[in-house]
Amino acid sequence: MNKNYLFLAILMIILAGGLLILPERTNYTQINPEDLLWDIIQPSRYVTTDQVAKMLIEQDPTLELIDVRCAKEYNKFALPNAINIPLDSILSPNYSDYLGIEDMNAVFYCNDDILADQAWVIAKRMNISRIYIMKGGLNCWIKTIIQPTPPPETASGDEFDQYDFRKGASMYFTGASISAPKSDSKSQVTIKRKKKTTATAGGC
Amino acid sequence: MPNKHVHELNPKRTVITMVLFVVIIVIGLVTLKSPRLTYTLTPRQTLDLVSSNGGSVHPYQLDAVLKGTIDTVILIDIRNKFEYSNGHIDGAENISAYDLTNKENIKRLKELKKEEMAVILYGNNQLEANGPWMVFRQLGFDNVKLLLGGYQYYTLHKNDLAKTKDDKSYILMQPDYNYSEVAKETASPGSDVKKETKKAPVIKRKKKTKATAGGC
Repeated sequence: MNKNYLFLAILMIILAGGLLILPERTNYTQINPEDLLWDIIQPSRYVTTDQVAKMLIEQDPTLELIDVRCAKEYNKFALPNAINIPLDSILSPNYSDYLGIEDMNAVFYCNDDILADQAWVIAKRMNISRIYIMKGGLNCWIKTIIQPTPPPETASGDEFDQYDFRKGASMYFTGASISAPKSDSKSQVTIKRKKKTTATAGGC
Repeated sequence: MPNKHVHELNPKRTVITMVLFVVIIVIGLVTLKSPRLTYTLTPRQTLDLVSSNGGSVHPYQLDAVLKGTIDTVILIDIRNKFEYSNGHIDGAENISAYDLTNKENIKRLKELKKEEMAVILYGNNQLEANGPWMVFRQLGFDNVKLLLGGYQYYTLHKNDLAKTKDDKSYILMQPDYNYSEVAKETASPGSDVKKETKKAPVIKRKKKTKATAGGC
């Protein structure tokens, strides 16, 4: 046998071994840092408390509220139908099913913006799409939705409309509109959604 | 086998193909496009960093910087040019968040890191600079820091920065209200109902996903 063949074979094996080293760049599933920064700058990643209130009242089935505060704070008070994923455990596999659900808009919130923003940046880096931050967090929620202040008399009509909406929302959320059956139907909606996705998954 | 004949007749051919083969692979490896910026922190490490409040600068710490007693610090204003020209922290440079990952700016930041200069990012408030700060920490620029309170807090306390040491109003993440008290107000049974519904979906959801896994 020709020596060259032997040499060639050995060379091929070595090069093949080299290929094993290459895919160690595991950045494929993660978003490019430049794109991450670009997404961070976009104001479209925020939703206002009014938008969240409206979606909750209309029982928007695509809304998935995620409370990123610790469990203790969550148990004391949380928005209706919010799921608790403390920032610490956002990467834990137990919760990975809640993020990146098809057709769902995940809205992070905390007491203000910072925890939610941190959760958002990390989730975005993992290339999870359709995630948002409730701007101002619960502090803003109380200030605008639960305890709205009337606009000055010189304010525009839009502002008065907004105030009317907030007054109604405040009544809705503080329990004036005993919302027990409503929230039940809400959770049923989300279950249905889940079933659909599982069916697709089984199909493939 | 005709192939064998050919090779036996021209042993040099094997060598030529071999050399070509190696050359092609080497060219391929050299020209392999590697991403310009890569993360050096894993998501887990990033999470630990932000949870430990590492890398944040309190407004009172700025005092020494502005008086010039500490000269290993560079302030970068990440707002846009318009906002910057309307007022900024003395001595701060303006690199808008849009341009932070430009080639020149990355080069500059790398040089600053080598010189062991600290870089403090600030926006109008903490939130504005939080994202960019997190990006740079994840890229391995551990000399990049975040100014708590941002420009807004600075303008309020421009003249007495050193005295803000005990002021906690710029520290976020605290609830401004006792939520459960405020939200209850009228109806108390509401809170019990809420708790039930909250817990339920968590359990149900988990079951569903397990079923999927089994189905596949």
